[in-house]
Amino acid sequence: MIKRGVSLYSYQQAQFFKQMSWKDQIVEVHDNLKCDGIEIIDEAVIRDYPFPSEQFIFDWNNFMARYDMNAVTMDIYMDVHQFRDHVMTHKEAAERLKNDIKIAAKLGFKNVRCLCLVPIDVIEMALDTAEKYNVRIGKEIHAPLPIKLREDRPRPTKGMAAALDYRMADQIIELAQRTGSKHVGLVPDFGIFQHSPTQISIDYEKRHSAHPEIIDWILENRFSYTFDELFDLMNEKFPGNNMGYGLVERFGLKESSAVPEDLIDIIPYIVSFHGKFYQMTEIEGQPGCYEDKSINYEDPIRILCENGFDGYIDSEYEGQRCQQDRGVAYLADEVEEVRRHHEMLSRLIAKYSK
Amino acid sequence: MFDNFLIRENSLENVYREGKPVGFKFAVRIADYRGCFLSLHNGYYVECDGVVYPREVQKFEINGKAPRDFQEIKTCVWEHWNYDDEGYVYVEKEGGLAPGEHVIGLQQSILAQYGYMPWDEAWVKNPPEPGTGAGAGKTASVCEFRLKLQQA
Repeated sequence: MIKRGVSLYSYQQAQFFKQMSWKDQIVEVHDNLKCDGIEIIDEAVIRDYPFPSEQFIFDWNNFMARYDMNAVTMDIYMDVHQFRDHVMTHKEAAERLKNDIKIAAKLGFKNVRCLCLVPIDVIEMALDTAEKYNVRIGKEIHAPLPIKLREDRPRPTKGMAAALDYRMADQIIELAQRTGSKHVGLVPDFGIFQHSPTQISIDYEKRHSAHPEIIDWILENRFSYTFDELFDLMNEKFPGNNMGYGLVERFGLKESSAVPEDLIDIIPYIVSFHGKFYQMTEIEGQPGCYEDKSINYEDPIRILCENGFDGYIDSEYEGQRCQQDRGVAYLADEVEEVRRHHEMLSRLIAKYSK
Repeated sequence: MFDNFLIRENSLENVYREGKPVGFKFAVRIADYRGCFLSLHNGYYVECDGVVYPREVQKFEINGKAPRDFQEIKTCVWEHWNYDDEGYVYVEKEGGLAPGEHVIGLQQSILAQYGYMPWDEAWVKNPPEPGTGAGAGKTASVCEFRLKLQQA
């Protein structure tokens, strides 16, 4: 059975404005969403990371116990410029990962989520620590990564997609099989099922772009070309524009980077999900029912239910950041967005769990 | 991220030394959804009323310590800027700012990353200049603020 949770990342703006502390956020999840899964960003929630006080640790564990919550996944990072006089070596990166695993264990987390750019040997170096502290390392499958490399889908030669290793999921499974470790796996982010640009992101870009007509041109032409083709055509049609490839990646999107059916083979390795979303709107003709128009939730949830996935989807609301460039009146309501997301999750899980 | 809210609206003040105004300061938050190791903080692009004030005349106050320049901040490899905390940017300017409203353009540079990137070695030797967008993290534009000078 799929379980529901929330990454407190979703309430980053409420935290920024000191409208909700992490305790208020946990109470919201417990009281109003009626679920028990909690995920955190280590450097957002843990006071004085990476050296949290004994008091913070006790306070965290006590509060989670008071509301009978489950610390699912702690999201961790790898800033390779920390030391500034040299680029962090892989061994140093593994030391940070090991330390993060120890912090996660102290806070009761079952998993850490490491980023999709963390080299596989760094993860392997930290596996002993993961075993010892019984914390699983889940590597994120984040857009524009697919789950499986598919020959029928053109791979961009520029931008973020070119920098990523598309065999990432295979490498993790190979590591798990070769070592026999149950402490390494994957954290797919629902952004890999995003199939079209979000309206709030289009609106933000148009407010700031010197050439909003280029964004319209990309949106109109996205179904006819690949990212590479769109980028070249854009530069031909609008010479001297300073629009980067990232813009094409965001607004030229016409299909999701991953195929929902590809989830089936990786289910045994899934640690938890990031339920990424940008904007929940009411479904026409279905009052009180919501969807994110840009992300396919229905097919992945159906497939997960049909194939017996037993783990958490943690909401990860990310629409707030493209609405922070104007006055307070334009700010997103994170609490309401996450409540709508859970209406959708509950409805889809119930529909396919029968 | 937090474009319009990176500087606290009522925080612009002159800074005095021995009774004389020697510059100005304002309160900032981190332009990200997480805190950072302090060493990653690489300074600001600061423009005030059309004049650009480079990193060399900037200091940063955080964690209850006296304002530090960015050469010193660079060495704070085990200190953390917590996401919840406000810091103060100090800018040297003889005579300080005149009373009234001032237009400040700001871009924060923090060398936070999600992993290894092709420019890593170049950044160790020559960190990006704030204002170029490189190393500007989640808010790559120069955000503009109209702030009234507060009475000290």
